[in-house]
Amino acid sequence: MIRRENPVKKETKTQKGNEAARKKMLRKAEPYFWIAPSVILMAIFILVPIVFVFRMAFSDVSKTGRIKGFAGLGNFLTVVRNSAFPIVLKNTLVWTVAVVVISTVLGFILALILNNKFHGRKIARAIVVFPWATTLVIQASVWSFIINTDYGALNTLLLRLGIIKNAVNWTPTAGAYFAWEIACGIFVTIPFVCFTVLSGLQSIDSTYYEAATVDGAGYWAKLFKITIPLVRPSLTVSTVLNIIYVFNSFPIIWTITKGDPANRTDTLVTYLYKLAFYNSEQGQAAAVSVIGFVILLVCASAYMIYTLKKGDETA
Amino acid sequence: MSEPRTSLNKTKPVSVKKVILRVLLYLVVLDICVITLYPYFVMLTSALKSRAEIFSIDGTILPITAVWQNLIDVWTLAPLGRYMLNSVLIAGGSTIIAMICGIPAAYALARMKFKGQTAFLGFVIISQMFAPVVLLVGIYKVMSILHLTNSIVGLVFINAAFNQAFTIWLLRGTFMSISPEMEQAATIDGCNRIQAMFKVLLPVAAPGIVTTLIFIFINAWNEYTVALTLISTESSKPITVGINIFNGYNMIEWQYLFAASLFAVIPVVILFMCIEKNLVSGLASGGVKG
Repeated sequence: MIRRENPVKKETKTQKGNEAARKKMLRKAEPYFWIAPSVILMAIFILVPIVFVFRMAFSDVSKTGRIKGFAGLGNFLTVVRNSAFPIVLKNTLVWTVAVVVISTVLGFILALILNNKFHGRKIARAIVVFPWATTLVIQASVWSFIINTDYGALNTLLLRLGIIKNAVNWTPTAGAYFAWEIACGIFVTIPFVCFTVLSGLQSIDSTYYEAATVDGAGYWAKLFKITIPLVRPSLTVSTVLNIIYVFNSFPIIWTITKGDPANRTDTLVTYLYKLAFYNSEQGQAAAVSVIGFVILLVCASAYMIYTLKKGDETA
Repeated sequence: MSEPRTSLNKTKPVSVKKVILRVLLYLVVLDICVITLYPYFVMLTSALKSRAEIFSIDGTILPITAVWQNLIDVWTLAPLGRYMLNSVLIAGGSTIIAMICGIPAAYALARMKFKGQTAFLGFVIISQMFAPVVLLVGIYKVMSILHLTNSIVGLVFINAAFNQAFTIWLLRGTFMSISPEMEQAATIDGCNRIQAMFKVLLPVAAPGIVTTLIFIFINAWNEYTVALTLISTESSKPITVGINIFNGYNMIEWQYLFAASLFAVIPVVILFMCIEKNLVSGLASGGVKG
């Protein structure tokens, strides 16, 4: 490329060398111009907040949010020693595992069902997507209306259908509330799993199934020997993303119970929100954030290794 | 299906089994649809009930008489028009900025090789781990430094930033699925890279770009947590936060809450149904290919 312009002009060697070097540098620098806007955007609004959160977690922070000095592990110790913390941690674990596991299983089954050919398949797929498109705060509001004991829609429905005689208290305990929140979480998470799996299912070559049929394989054999291994990449992606989303999910719990009574339905994110914006303990809130990162980092790094490895394979 | 010409006795049980399975399939699908739609049914019917009917001990499934007036009243009882406009501005602005930043980045990742490529991609993927809610104290600090607390502009940038991962992810997958040969031909014809991208690549990638666009719009429209924290002025609230005006401490105006919710939900659900097919294949290609 450089050689092409050589024979035309006979200028000093250094000038030409400079020109070529400049061009080469520009070529090398070009990709960075292309990614610059994105990098700047994410640096200011994601990276800087991350740095702040870490700094505040290890700092003595005033009620107004001013950093007063280094606090070492002080914030972490205060957080961990609080009697609410084990409950919150346990809730977070139960919430994440229950929502992710159950919605993955149900979403997978739903995808298998929707992958059949039947009349109205398009309509069914469009309906299934509804919960994914609805903002969580509205979805959660409807659920809290449905399960209300005094005038809730579920009691009304069951009473009118004659299934129950008297209104049932669906939320007698904090645990019951939490179970409903998990149910709501599952309900809104299923579509994402279902559609990711569905896309995996549709990319499976039908000749595999034909060959298996010839070999006399039954439905279950095909499911476990062909379908599941081949949709595993889709399932992995949806599971890891769901772990992150569900772990960090705030609106459902906030709308239905706000983590009450007495932190019995709090997860890490609702707990840190209260610490930061109700109790003005921003240092402690930041410490809870950092604890959350550490837990998620394990999952995310596994995910990153997986996707980057995959990327290398296809590249 | 495989041996239709054998004796009747042999084929009959198979077809009966098939019919049963078929009926079962339809029943299951019907159940799924009914369960999925139930919350929306509750939302709609409750939005059309009077307050007295909602709180009555003798509850009804369908409204005794549909109070369509609720759907009109919400617009005057709360600044619903203002909330909707704010949501449009926030979602629209976020989408534009996310695309302006995301398209070139996805292009570079799909078409160029450079040092730090893996690191950049790694950061993009890792950034998904940090939901805004976990970073709220940090975000709040950044926003006060930039004087963007309580501002729609601040929300626009935050939504754009937190949607970068998805934008780059989906677009990179789209770009990579398109052969670079046409762009190379255009470059030989004298186009520079930017012209080649605008004239050749982007038109071909249009379906993927539209999908990404709508997806970000929906995400930003549905965002709740950051807006709840940063925005305190009534006239700057988006619809997701604004509808809480009907959710007071002492009493909840369910009929109005749901009437307003309908207006917040319906446009988004329709948009989502438009992109559902493309989005899924985009997620799969971008996701599985890394």
